[in-house]
Amino acid sequence: MDVVLADRLQFAFTIMFHYLFPIGTMGIAPFIAWYNFRALTTGDRLCFQAARFWTKIFAVNFAIGVVTGIPMEFQFGTNWAAFSAKTGSVIGQPLMMEGVYAFFLESVFLGVLLYGRERVSPALYTASAIVVWLGAWLSGFFIVVVDAWMQHPVGYSIGPGGRIQLRDLAALVFSPFAAWQFAHVVTGAIVAGGFILAGVGAYYLLAKRDVEFGREFVRTGVLAALVSSALVIFPTGDRNSDNVTAYQPIKLAAMEGLFKSRHGAPLAIIGMPDVAGRTLIDPVFAPDLLSFLAYGNFRANVAGLTSYATALWPPVELTYYAYHVMVGLGTIFIAVAAGAAFLLWRRRLFATPLALWALLLIMPFPYIASEAGWVVAEVGRQPWIVYGLMKTQTAASPNVVTGETIFTLIGFVGMYFLLGVLFLFLTLREIGIGPADEPAPGGVPAAGLGAEA
Amino acid sequence: MTSLAAFCLIGGMLSVYTLLDGYDLGAAAISPFLTKTRAERSAVVESIGPFWSGNEVWLVAAGAALFALFPQAYAVSFSGFYLPFIVVLWLLMFRGIAIELREHLPGVIWMDFWDAAFSVSSALLILLFGVALGNLVRGLQLDANGYFLGTFSSLLNPYAAAVGVLAVVALAQHGLAYVAERVDGPLGERALRHVGRLWWLVFVAYLAVTAATVAERRSDLASSPLSIVASLAALGALGAVWWFAGRRRAAPAFLASASFLAGLLVAAAATMYPYLIRPYPGAAGGLTIFQASPPTATLALTLLISSVGLAAVIVYSAFVRRRMALKVTVHDDRSV
Repeated sequence: MDVVLADRLQFAFTIMFHYLFPIGTMGIAPFIAWYNFRALTTGDRLCFQAARFWTKIFAVNFAIGVVTGIPMEFQFGTNWAAFSAKTGSVIGQPLMMEGVYAFFLESVFLGVLLYGRERVSPALYTASAIVVWLGAWLSGFFIVVVDAWMQHPVGYSIGPGGRIQLRDLAALVFSPFAAWQFAHVVTGAIVAGGFILAGVGAYYLLAKRDVEFGREFVRTGVLAALVSSALVIFPTGDRNSDNVTAYQPIKLAAMEGLFKSRHGAPLAIIGMPDVAGRTLIDPVFAPDLLSFLAYGNFRANVAGLTSYATALWPPVELTYYAYHVMVGLGTIFIAVAAGAAFLLWRRRLFATPLALWALLLIMPFPYIASEAGWVVAEVGRQPWIVYGLMKTQTAASPNVVTGETIFTLIGFVGMYFLLGVLFLFLTLREIGIGPADEPAPGGVPAAGLGAEA
Repeated sequence: MTSLAAFCLIGGMLSVYTLLDGYDLGAAAISPFLTKTRAERSAVVESIGPFWSGNEVWLVAAGAALFALFPQAYAVSFSGFYLPFIVVLWLLMFRGIAIELREHLPGVIWMDFWDAAFSVSSALLILLFGVALGNLVRGLQLDANGYFLGTFSSLLNPYAAAVGVLAVVALAQHGLAYVAERVDGPLGERALRHVGRLWWLVFVAYLAVTAATVAERRSDLASSPLSIVASLAALGALGAVWWFAGRRRAAPAFLASASFLAGLLVAAAATMYPYLIRPYPGAAGGLTIFQASPPTATLALTLLISSVGLAAVIVYSAFVRRRMALKVTVHDDRSV
């Protein structure tokens, strides 16, 4: 195997596994802050218990997010030395700011959240919950700044030896590409967080236990999911598409499976790309719609893949399918959240098992949609590692061989399998114990250090 | 000038990491020899539980600072020591989940497994960090681009191994002093007595490594007087550890231990300067801070931004530590 392919597989595996956990932390942290805030201001017992329950779930999520995040930071150096040496003075900057301005904040105050219930005042405790939320989002922002620069490099100059140097930090950090990408990422995480709340609540209602909590989680979760799933599509998704159209037209063509340039390009709802035949098999088209979405004009010309050299094409199938999975799921989220919100308004949701089942079973899908979105962004960026500036093929470490990368990839797969099993086991166990002070029959009391008991 | 400041910033961040996460790692490594019951092991974990993650961020942030300030050195060192680095990552992961997941189940086997994972991975991490530092001080065989040329086994030379041993005993002592300071009752008192016993090993290891460093580097030690001063200051701090441990004063003993580590790290950094990656005497290559850094304007801005951020981190970390300062007590063993 080509060493670059082995490096890419390792990065894809470790980042996709890692990203499952930031989705959870970014998506659940606002709800923990919200429940703590309400418990502090109203003294409501239910909110207090809800905050404590979601903090326990968050703790497992955060722990696995942290330990799987550390390799990400260092893999740039271990596996992508040529890329790091060439671009480090640019992308090292937001990574350092992430550490200094966000990761410290999140970690230091999470210590308060997990161990400080009986050591600090309720006001400081609630403030810590809010700070952890801000830290989680800020952390995400700086990481997205790195990726946005790789998608659309700004604020740099080329120095001696072809090194890329930072010229304008503000242009890098406040890049509009990064702002819309971050907004899309974070609303996607709240879709996940909202559906997690609603799904766990639906489980309690269906199981006829912890009913008060079930209702509260379903109510809050459905409303959050409805608002965020709308925001994911408009304006954040729409503006991301605009940026892709403007700066990465080849990616756009691959996403849409558009091989031949045309005026009034149709939008493929479904269809299978046949790259060798340069066509979509069995497509269902919405006529002229792609031209309208891309350029606001039904007759506008959209450039197809064949107007570019094949050497500049990303892997078309993966980009196309990931994009369609993301968009399809996004549409389903709106439908499910709107349907549930309608039943909630009619006061029938809690007594409609079919709707509760839908909320329960939809829980994994926001994760799939988020991962698919990143596949579109990153696979669609190929063959570039920094769009237009550096090819992925030239970015790997010159002195690391395929065997080493495959060995460590296997090690990561084994380690992450263990982590995944532990995560599911501990999270499902906390859901089984439930949020009430007195555990449900059959539940096991939580292990207690003094601080947690 | 900015290059020197950048070198000091990264050295400073790594030193803070060593002083802070050093007690987490040291307490974990020494825990099997210190504790007698599962409840005592829980108390050791609880004493570091709220802080370890914030402590570890100093390493992550220092790594990112190296990336931003000296990209060439970051790329060359991380890929040059590919397998040892990945092993360090795996051990850091094991250590982290051991602390975080151990408390989630009351089961005896569960806790024992994570306690063992916690201690073994922490001890190995200290050893690997020590061996790495030893090799950086001694110098490495490098090619013209600064990539590592030697073999895996050449990294385990006697000098680096001696530094590894010093790191293990010195951080174990640091961890004991921390537990003595943080935990009430018999466990804290026992930890302080153990400091007095382990001290002799630290002292011997310090002398051995100092003598070996003089032997390895006799030609150029005279050109870095700071390393001699810092090394002697470390010796003084080590004496203070002995003094305070003997007088049963945990907090000053911990501070003295921190000063000892800081002295050693300053001495190590001073012998390395101006190299980030130093060639083994006689070999070519090596990366100095002047070769490896981006232009001055970028560097100065990065330094400013990170210094402001780190100052804020120090303020709010100190605030949180003060608020969370309640001493840990050993709970009886009824639950397990």
